[in-house]
Amino acid sequence: MARNIELRVAEACAAGPGIWRVTLKDPDGWPLPRTKPGAHLDLHVPGVGSRAYSLCGDPAVQDAWVVAVKLETRSRGGSAWVHALEEGHTVWASMPRCTFPIAESASRHILVAGGIGVTPFLAMAPVLERQGADWALHVLHRGALPCPGDLAPWISAGRAVVHDTAVAPRPAFETLLGAHVPGLQAYCCGPLAMIDAFEHATASWPSGTARAEHFVPPVLAPDPNARPYTLVLSQDGASTDVPAGGSMLVALRALGAKVDASCEGGVCGACKVRWLEGEPVHRDRVLQPEERRTHLMACVAGCASDRLVVEA
Amino acid sequence: MSVTLAPKTSPSMTLAWRGLVSHLHITPRAFLPMQAQEAIELVAGEGIVGDRYRIGTETGFYSEKPEEGRQITLFEAEVLEAILRDYKMEMLPEEHRRNVTTRGVALNHLVGKRFRLGACLVEATRLSVPCRHIEEILGKAVFDPMVHRSGLNCKILEGGTLRVGDAIEPA
Repeated sequence: MARNIELRVAEACAAGPGIWRVTLKDPDGWPLPRTKPGAHLDLHVPGVGSRAYSLCGDPAVQDAWVVAVKLETRSRGGSAWVHALEEGHTVWASMPRCTFPIAESASRHILVAGGIGVTPFLAMAPVLERQGADWALHVLHRGALPCPGDLAPWISAGRAVVHDTAVAPRPAFETLLGAHVPGLQAYCCGPLAMIDAFEHATASWPSGTARAEHFVPPVLAPDPNARPYTLVLSQDGASTDVPAGGSMLVALRALGAKVDASCEGGVCGACKVRWLEGEPVHRDRVLQPEERRTHLMACVAGCASDRLVVEA
Repeated sequence: MSVTLAPKTSPSMTLAWRGLVSHLHITPRAFLPMQAQEAIELVAGEGIVGDRYRIGTETGFYSEKPEEGRQITLFEAEVLEAILRDYKMEMLPEEHRRNVTTRGVALNHLVGKRFRLGACLVEATRLSVPCRHIEEILGKAVFDPMVHRSGLNCKILEGGTLRVGDAIEPA
């Protein structure tokens, strides 16, 4: 397991309605790899596979990673497993990845969370505060507050505003965000319907000024223009034919490439692969335009040329 | 066009050189940050006490491909300065993930040679190469800047304690 990170559960406790907050440390207390605010951690769920959870601790704390996970009634296996974790348990993880970064060039940041979608913002909050940034967090929730202990200082400081939709109508995004002005950056993490509303409200904003993080990948319709192609590994020239609409991830693994995967829906960034030749068709929701010049997400990408050469 | 290399029969020339140990780092497992040490313990034929590539207790990222030359690895402080100069990218001694940061030693010249690290004796087995794993850990595009100047892999012939400031010189 040298290609994964071994962690021990140092603390596990309830943190709001149906939420289990788990603090993970190195078995010997060694510092953990540095993470960026907004990063998520892939935990390896036995018998299920990798599941991505936002890190919600302060990135400046180097010897602990914290995740807060809501028990999903239609769990795919991950949240039920996390809820059974207790102090002393061993878990394995991949290197955290950040697909939801703070926009460094922005002069004002508005963060909008839906329920447990607050987790990436709990990691961003102390970083923004230390930067002296102009920022505000809106937490939309129904009934009891998610992660109340983590939110309390930000509520007291006037940085976080909570909106209980059980007692008042859900505020419109247009109200929370206002019109776009230069320097304004908006972020949203929550259920799919909420992200759809966020993306609708910010559709006319300049590219990149409104970012959303998905819990689960959106349903991806089959590509009607999908075509077969030959997939080639640059290292040894091994190749295989991928049928129209076939999974590049499956093809890579059949070639013996060790490619991580988690969401398998183009949002988590786990199966990012460098491509060298050909014409990939990007169908993910995570890579920036600049990144697509060199990388693709193998779980959803296709190819518009006869041949695609990748490094994996 | 033909390229003429020095004939194998030419007299070998030993350049006088003497460098020193600038920094020492180890980490117990893959992915974890390298931590600075004032002194490390080299074990002949095995590696460094507490490091992930010590043979017999390997937990490094590349431990699935065992290699005796991974017992101790070296990197030039001058390369860190060159990367800053050439790429405007700061790379710190703990970020190259080699164990010994050297100063005043042309590591690329030492493949196949034996030399002293303090009182210890090592033999360079090959040039180290950059890897995407470091980019993944650092979140910095350091792969290209490290090409052809990524340090040296060595096996330990005589162990002992190695300290920051110790001399590095031909055996």
